[in-house]
Amino acid sequence: MSATPTVVAELPAPHAPFDRALLLVLPATVFMLALFIYPFVYGLILSFEPAQGGWLANYQKFFTTDNLWTTIGKTLKLALPATIINVGVALPIAYKMRVRSRWQRIVTTLLVVPITLGTVLIAEGMLTYFGPKGWLAQFLQLTHIYEGAIRLTHNYWGVLISLVISGFPFAFLLILSYVTGIDPVLARAASTLGADSKAQFRHIYLPLLAPGLAMCFCLAFVQAFSVFPSAVLLGAPAGPTRVISIAAYEAAFEQYDYSLASAIAMIMGFVQLVIVAFVLSLRNWFYKGPVTGGKG
Amino acid sequence: MKHDFKELKLDRVTRRFAGSGGHVFNALSELTLTIRRGEFIALLGPSGCGKSTALNCIAGLLPLSGGTIRLDDERIDPLPPERRGFGMVFQNYALFPHMSVMKNIGFGLRMQGVPAAEIAPRVAKAMRLVQLSGQEHKLPGQLSGGQQQRVAIARAIVIEPPLILMDEPLSNLDAKLRLETRAEIRRIHRELDRATVYVTHDQDEALSLADRIVVMKDGVVQQIAAPHEVYAQPSNLHVARFMGYRNVLHLTVRGERGDRVLLEAPDIKLTGVRKQPLAGSRASVAMRPEEVTIATGPAAENIITGRVDNIEYGGRDSLIDIVTPGGTRLHLRGPTDVALGADVHVHVPPERVLVYPYDGSEG
Repeated sequence: MSATPTVVAELPAPHAPFDRALLLVLPATVFMLALFIYPFVYGLILSFEPAQGGWLANYQKFFTTDNLWTTIGKTLKLALPATIINVGVALPIAYKMRVRSRWQRIVTTLLVVPITLGTVLIAEGMLTYFGPKGWLAQFLQLTHIYEGAIRLTHNYWGVLISLVISGFPFAFLLILSYVTGIDPVLARAASTLGADSKAQFRHIYLPLLAPGLAMCFCLAFVQAFSVFPSAVLLGAPAGPTRVISIAAYEAAFEQYDYSLASAIAMIMGFVQLVIVAFVLSLRNWFYKGPVTGGKG
Repeated sequence: MKHDFKELKLDRVTRRFAGSGGHVFNALSELTLTIRRGEFIALLGPSGCGKSTALNCIAGLLPLSGGTIRLDDERIDPLPPERRGFGMVFQNYALFPHMSVMKNIGFGLRMQGVPAAEIAPRVAKAMRLVQLSGQEHKLPGQLSGGQQQRVAIARAIVIEPPLILMDEPLSNLDAKLRLETRAEIRRIHRELDRATVYVTHDQDEALSLADRIVVMKDGVVQQIAAPHEVYAQPSNLHVARFMGYRNVLHLTVRGERGDRVLLEAPDIKLTGVRKQPLAGSRASVAMRPEEVTIATGPAAENIITGRVDNIEYGGRDSLIDIVTPGGTRLHLRGPTDVALGADVHVHVPPERVLVYPYDGSEG
């Protein structure tokens, strides 16, 4: 330690000496450069170096080949509903769980358990439970509640259910932390001014939660958009659940066309970016400051 | 929801909480109080005495464990807060951070379904009343503490509630602003001509604002009386201690004549006024430092001799501690020219020596 008086630290001279604490960001910077920026740039350049044709040949191929360009729509068709369900269902439950009660811990634990299971484990469980000869089908037919054929695996619905199971806990935990961060005195103040619980939610909680919900939506969406194992295990990977990551996987590891695979990965990233940018731009319509009501 | 009323009647209002290990305690025990229109009531007591619990019970933010609350003839204790329509000012203001000052103040009117055309002039009037005009479009985060406080008051009064509840509204302000806002609260109360219930732990605030003070301790009402009475005639030793009777001595009773009591310790002889029935041979007396004076001429009774042990200079006068030969310490206010270590005689008029049953506890 140098013997510099503390006053100097508080009021830096016009030519402030180099702050050595800045060196602490170095490891993280190296990490980002080596493991994120470099592979990304490498992939971007690789995508413009196709095996045959001009520098845009991969992108032309993607948007002119039927079983490639349709993967964007198929992935969105899975990821958007899954995200909307996860955020939409997590919000009211998290709102109910905001007050400390006997049930809070039990319910929260039950809802969060799936986050500890891997996608593959969830898929295995779902095949046993939701399959044509699964427990659910047997139970429904045994009790004559529903006698028709039940198809909840190896199709669109199987993948959607699995995305909800694996994505819900994440959305729930995130929203719960936003909800409990809002000072409950605000709702009590609103109630003394005549707001019933519905109005409290609409006028106090929802506007204050909106920025957090947008962020949660983005994270949940990115997670769902990159779906891969459950689309293969629970879906119809040649048909309606041929998602964009499957197309990239096939290009890379079945056709050994790394250049095309890179181009698909770039397109995938671009679609995510568009959705995220759109949702985050909505945040500007809302208040984004601290969520307490005055001096603490 | 009504805007006008004659009286609010609290009848044995009780609130119990379950503490740790299933132990149940009374945060508020059988509070019975009638608040008339136009009155300013202060609930006064140390933290944890149940004053905020009482306020939350009146507001409807806490359900009662027992008792009833009536507004004129209507029983209101089963109603949720949004259907009672009492304005409340919270300690940390609880302003809605995402709404402008105008929206905050207009929120209650909006919730009551008042037409937008009527909201604007009423909000403007409330803002003039709390002297906030010109700040309409700011967010609460852009205001100073004093301004936030005034928004909170405006928001509570704009709905024209029969009753305004204030929970230590001045505790977050600095000393100067506190005095100014105190005067303002009193002015607003007069102008509105409704009723105010004001929770505070500050005896000066309670004395200067209230028409009646409710002194509480451990959830139990100790005294309900006008400020001058609580100040001069505390009903028990606890209230006396809380109202600034810093000299509490435990003495032996030598005799009683009428309400006069003669008390003694080896080095002290005092005559005082009995405030509560005494039991046993011991009693506690309470005296204010302001009412103990350094004796100049000969006095017949109530003279105590001691040595000056400590002096705190206070400008107009000094706060002096004397210690008697027997080791009893007395606080008094006296001239600033008293010397440390000097032997002095002090005098206290018998009618200002208040005698209560013996209470050996401190604090």
